[in-house]
Amino acid sequence: MHGKDVRLEGVQITYPNGFTAVQPTDLTIKAGEFFSILGPSGCGKTTILRTVSGFVEPTAGRVLIGGEDMRGIAPNGRPTALIFQNLALFPLMPVWENVAFGLESRGVPKAARRSKALELLDLVALRDQADKKPGELSGGQRQRVAIARALAVEPAVLLLDEPLSALDLKLRQHMRAELREIQRKTGVTFIYITHDQGEALTMSDRIAVMNNGVIEQVGTGDEIYSEPRTAFAASFVGEANQMQGRVCGLDGDMAVIETAQGRLLGRNPCGLKDGDEAMLFVRPEALVWASSRAPDTNRLIARPVRRDLEGSFVNIVLRTNTGANLTMHQVNTGAEIDMESDASVRFPCEQAVVLPKGPLAQTGQELAAQ
Amino acid sequence: MKSLVNGYGRGLVALFFGAVALWGILLIILPQLTMLERAITAPKRQLDSSIALNLRQDANTCISVLQTFETPVEGSGANGGIAIPSASGMAVPSASAMAVPSASGMAVPSATGAATGKTRPYILQCDRATTRKQMVRDGGTKVWLNELYDLPLLAVSDSDPISRQIEIAKEIAEQSETLYGRLKEVESSAFPYTSQNFKWLFAARQIPLSQEQRAIEDAKLSKQLFGLVGLRFERDGEIYERIGLITLTRTLSFAIMATTLALVLCYPMAYKVALATPPDRAMWLFLGLVIPYAIVELMRVYAWTTIIDNQGLINGFLTWAGVIEDPIQFKRMPGTIFVVIVYTYVLFMVFPIYNVMSTLDKNQIEAAKDLGASALRVHRRIIIPHSKPGIAVGCIATFMLAAGAFSVPRIISRGLQAEWFSQTIYNKFFESENSNVGAAYSFTYTLVCFVIVALFMWIMRTRLKDFARVQ
Repeated sequence: MHGKDVRLEGVQITYPNGFTAVQPTDLTIKAGEFFSILGPSGCGKTTILRTVSGFVEPTAGRVLIGGEDMRGIAPNGRPTALIFQNLALFPLMPVWENVAFGLESRGVPKAARRSKALELLDLVALRDQADKKPGELSGGQRQRVAIARALAVEPAVLLLDEPLSALDLKLRQHMRAELREIQRKTGVTFIYITHDQGEALTMSDRIAVMNNGVIEQVGTGDEIYSEPRTAFAASFVGEANQMQGRVCGLDGDMAVIETAQGRLLGRNPCGLKDGDEAMLFVRPEALVWASSRAPDTNRLIARPVRRDLEGSFVNIVLRTNTGANLTMHQVNTGAEIDMESDASVRFPCEQAVVLPKGPLAQTGQELAAQ
Repeated sequence: MKSLVNGYGRGLVALFFGAVALWGILLIILPQLTMLERAITAPKRQLDSSIALNLRQDANTCISVLQTFETPVEGSGANGGIAIPSASGMAVPSASAMAVPSASGMAVPSATGAATGKTRPYILQCDRATTRKQMVRDGGTKVWLNELYDLPLLAVSDSDPISRQIEIAKEIAEQSETLYGRLKEVESSAFPYTSQNFKWLFAARQIPLSQEQRAIEDAKLSKQLFGLVGLRFERDGEIYERIGLITLTRTLSFAIMATTLALVLCYPMAYKVALATPPDRAMWLFLGLVIPYAIVELMRVYAWTTIIDNQGLINGFLTWAGVIEDPIQFKRMPGTIFVVIVYTYVLFMVFPIYNVMSTLDKNQIEAAKDLGASALRVHRRIIIPHSKPGIAVGCIATFMLAAGAFSVPRIISRGLQAEWFSQTIYNKFFESENSNVGAAYSFTYTLVCFVIVALFMWIMRTRLKDFARVQ
């Protein structure tokens, strides 16, 4: 099996009801890459997947797989295989027939089909379940059957539509490793759709962060996490303290931003100019208690209001005198925190980033209110 | 069961099961048992005791009529309503054309024939009042009442004086009265059941045919098929047909054909509405299917007569267009009946299939397509296996409705076609008043249909629990 590259050139998708699910997008996914598209529900990521698999024709632009224009080629003619969110296993067929279905469609004789199916079931460690019905398997096993079924047609590109979302946490973590392993073994290009940043960060070679039909940023997990380029990417991936303000000074590749909490300094990767509306993002783990000898830059006065034990680290919520909330992660050393008096916290300017003002990812509170 | 009790409480569950049991007993088991009992009971009028009873009644009527002649009356008005000339006319006194039918149209010979020396006109009941009565026996063997039960040969002869005739009639009445009592006693202790009624279904009838007619009939494919399975045969140069069985076979094959046609129509329809149309537009399709069913069944069938009649829409249009000169006789074509049956019962096919089909996860179809399956394979491997319970329920419902269809063949063919088995049963019950044979036919029909349904389920590999998937 060999992966192929996938290129989207100016792909735009507008549904018949006038809703544009994907704004004109250029995207290149390299051959043999584990590529994730990460975004909240309704951002258009599944539409991109369905466009690549051929269930949706782009309104404008084109899709190339291995350099070949896919226009007018039906799903069953493309070198892709899709794994559905609900897996869509065929409940009335035994497991091996599920796996062999793609071969059956290609006219492979029964004996050859079965041996190939068993071979693939070996790959996902399910050979002994070959004659059961999918309904008799556990969630993780069904997951692996779906993968084997998709791999049976020897696709160059495997498309996965949030396949792990139905599993519980432990199994999900295990399946991440397994998916990664299968991808490495087969060398097939994986395009993985998820709204779970943990999945995207742990498995992917590269990630595209998507919002409202627009791909906001493409990069490796580290790049996305440490060097977000848009307010949305910064707020969607990982946790971030955000402070809104206006750029009031530039210092090399740093920018000073005037916020309600005072003047703060951070990196300026987008080349913001003096007077631009901007937002400063800083990760909770970048916040530290400030000693009296520490420099004054990026120092904030706040009172701890909550301490949540997360296990290996402690999540501390502080409230500044202007009423803004800050989140701080500290390695769990068992140290007591004084919840009664104001404290001084600071963050290194290299770990803060100033980005143009833009839409943010919805917080948990907002999601709950919906 | 336990979960039912927990969910609904003991009282409600008991009520439910009670209602189901009551329904099963009252509406299924009891009627079928009654039907079976009727089917295996010999028709009462064929019993020897019934013949004796009839003889007594005839004799008594004869006596009372004769008594009006004891004092000879001129004119016949007094008895016109009772004395009926026999069909054969053999007993009509004096062929000298003196017998003039009365003005009332009752064809009572006038008593003015007194001049010939006869003292009474012909009286049917007196003619029938004879101990030489033929009994009903299998295979047409002739058995006579007087010989069987050792009675003297008595008959009312119209050449005797009236008083003598009355005497003989009284003798006959007495004899038959005692015989009736005796036979009744014997019969009440005898085994009451017989398979005679079922034999009627298999009985062969001679079909009188001219040479030309026969040549035409022999050339017909259906007749040849009947010949192949022994429903039509030749003996001594005459054609015999097992009419009952032929009607049964014809009806069942039409019902099966109608079911097949309905399935062929409904599967794509259900697929279109359930899986191939966005929900907002599917609603309109659905509405189109349901609206005709807001009209009562009889009206829907009658509507067809305006289409297929000789002066109906189709013939009217074709004549107007100059395509035909004489109207096409649609009501004589068996095809018309099952087209109308399909139309009448199509919803019983569409809904079960639609219901099951709409529960299919569309992702499965996409997954199959994505794995390279052609549209045909998607249907064969994914959609049909999933919809099988619905298809089975739809087929069973449509088949049973078509097999039992009564109004459609009756209204559409208006007697111009061979009858359906449902009509045969109706006729046995209510037209020829032979409810025992009717019951035998009906019971056999129920059994045959049941076997066909069971066979069908076996072929389709559907089990009863699959039907739970048809909401």
